[in-house]
Amino acid sequence: MSKRIVINPLTRISGFMEIDVMIDQNQVVDVKTKGNLFRGFEQMLVGRSPFDAVYFTQRICGICSAAHSMASSRALEDALNIEPMEQGKYLRDIIHCCEFLQNHIRHFYQYTVPDFVKIEQNSLFQSDHDDFRLPKNINDRITQHYFDSLKFSRLAHEMLAVLGGKAPHNHGVFIGGITTQATAEKVVHIDSILDKISKFIDEKMIPDVYDIARFYADYFRMGGGYGNLLTYGAFNHYKELGTLYVDSLVSTMESVEAFDESKIQEKIDYSYFNSINNSNQPNEAVTEPDMDKEKAYSWVKAPRYKGLPFEVGPLARLILSGSYSNGISAMDRTIARALEAKKISEIMKILLQQIIPGVDVQKKYELPELASGRGLVDTTRGALGHWLKIQDKKISFYQIITPSTWDFSTRDDNGFRGTAEEALVGTHIQNPDKPAEIGRILRSFDPCMSCATHVYSPGKQVKTIKVF
Amino acid sequence: MPPESLTNEAIAERLTSTALKSLKKGTIKKKNLIYLELNGCSGNIISLLNGQNPDFEYTLNSMVDLKFCNSLMAAEGERAIEKLIKAMDEEYILAVEGAVALKNNGLYNIIGNWQGKPLTGLQAAQMLGEKASHIFAVGACATHGGVSAAKPNPSQSVGLQQVLPNKKMIKLPGCPVHPDWFLGTLAHLLLYGEPETDNLDRPLMFYSTLIHDRCPRRPFFDRGIFAEKLGEKTCLFKLGCRGPVTRVDCPTRQWNGHVNWPIGDNTPCIGCAQFGFPDAMAPFISYDTTRVVKNE
Repeated sequence: MSKRIVINPLTRISGFMEIDVMIDQNQVVDVKTKGNLFRGFEQMLVGRSPFDAVYFTQRICGICSAAHSMASSRALEDALNIEPMEQGKYLRDIIHCCEFLQNHIRHFYQYTVPDFVKIEQNSLFQSDHDDFRLPKNINDRITQHYFDSLKFSRLAHEMLAVLGGKAPHNHGVFIGGITTQATAEKVVHIDSILDKISKFIDEKMIPDVYDIARFYADYFRMGGGYGNLLTYGAFNHYKELGTLYVDSLVSTMESVEAFDESKIQEKIDYSYFNSINNSNQPNEAVTEPDMDKEKAYSWVKAPRYKGLPFEVGPLARLILSGSYSNGISAMDRTIARALEAKKISEIMKILLQQIIPGVDVQKKYELPELASGRGLVDTTRGALGHWLKIQDKKISFYQIITPSTWDFSTRDDNGFRGTAEEALVGTHIQNPDKPAEIGRILRSFDPCMSCATHVYSPGKQVKTIKVF
Repeated sequence: MPPESLTNEAIAERLTSTALKSLKKGTIKKKNLIYLELNGCSGNIISLLNGQNPDFEYTLNSMVDLKFCNSLMAAEGERAIEKLIKAMDEEYILAVEGAVALKNNGLYNIIGNWQGKPLTGLQAAQMLGEKASHIFAVGACATHGGVSAAKPNPSQSVGLQQVLPNKKMIKLPGCPVHPDWFLGTLAHLLLYGEPETDNLDRPLMFYSTLIHDRCPRRPFFDRGIFAEKLGEKTCLFKLGCRGPVTRVDCPTRQWNGHVNWPIGDNTPCIGCAQFGFPDAMAPFISYDTTRVVKNE
């Protein structure tokens, strides 16, 4: 007996997503994930001043805006042939660390916890399903931490603002690293907050995630997917410190190898775009939209590495850095996000210790007539790439492949589904009228549709028909 | 008795603590709030979570009943939209972030499914806006289209007023909005009714004065001492600072626990709280707004 489940909106994510799932005898047999908002950043950026890209692209996403400033400033450094000073890199990476902490704390408590914990304080937290298994004392404790956590994610943004001016949408990350100079006062301000946040992660967040894992152990066997992992590398290539977290690596079930940028292709077999070869390099022009393409069902393109779909994000990074080996599943992904928060707080501590007050890393920059550059960086949700071209001192081309585009891609002609789609296939749905599993598995990826759908193009809406 | 402190922080805190006392005494009633995210980046709800005195927990428990919020609510799918539709049966305040996408009858921004059909941001904005007791346009995209409507505006995004031409609304421009601007205005509304606004519907308590007129770097401007690159401590006017055309209280309020702001970070203000942002404020940064003339 087949049945279709449509969930729209998938709440507690950034942006709008629709899930269209076919189940047969309570098993998921087919999945389509679809983004539901469009702005068209790549078209908007053409003709603007290249310097403006750093602030402009942050507006792609409110929860991970600093990520885009990181990728954008690196792409500009590549295009302008600028090697930032080590102090500039440290300060910029400290800002990036703050965003990791803000994002991971918010994602776990505000986005994930309501899936597993019954919060009764407010009608806002009324759930649709009734699969709540935590004993009352644990349930109450994590509920209290839901509200406590708001202070710590706010404090993470306060640290970010000390160096970045404001958050969301900071002003501090720029070509050369950062626009301001460290002072003893700033370093101590940040360090004192960092201690509080680290304590919260160690004493509250990590025990909370393990408690949830204990009572929902079946989620260690759900939401696995292909098991292909990719990272562009994070907090690495320091002159003196070397690699603090992870270098750029890819792994499949068969092998682990160094990452090679030329192996990235964006496919559009099932996306509403037309192109001669259905596949593009990231630095090639954006394809023409075509809603009438017969088998297309989504605006999200399909990035592939050596033709395969990959998972990106905290779990991929932890496994590739050799610090996690339990497995790949929805619950592992959720645990990895909390463990990574701890790791990032430790990295941030190291970076803070390297800071020399009063170093001004800024210069007066000249724009080239003709140039191209790219910035690849691993950020909260995984691998993020910005590719840009400059002509007559203006942006002539801009392309962004976000982590959620990797994780929430469409299927392709080689028979591969998108990463999150595959993770859902085979899932047993306990109660098809109140499916708790789908949202839990999808949220384990920390989807950001604001990011993944920035490249939507004009077209018609495809109708989905609800079956129940 | 010493006079009351008139700092921004003190005023916002006084407003909200008075609101709480009145709520407890029962002299004012908790109102329902619907928070609608449309075509944008959800940066405003993230900014509101950064609120301090009042913080988000306090807002939720003591100021309003939040009936719908895509970023935070536990319900999902049609059951979430059902809560949105049901909330219209009672009186509610509507807060909208993000722009309204007009292209393709609004199909560029679908916020959910209702009765098997896609519910567009356009439909939701009009339907909820018509019945709301008060409307807040939160952030640049909602007040005038903002970055979502930047040239060439592929989604044909517009500000909220354009699809609700006859409705009065309070406009809170900013990218994102500062939590105090929203929560302070909300507290004022609960306590004393709508705050005084200017001719562009912005609350005067936050948007009355040009950044330039309260900038701590004003003495450099007055003496003609200008920064030539980011990172300098002098006036950023010649790097393209929009402080002289932007009315908002960043210089005195500052951001994220009142610790810093763009000019404090040695970067020009990009006018994110001014109508016309981003296109009217571009380029954000330029190193050649004036040329140095030698030996003339």
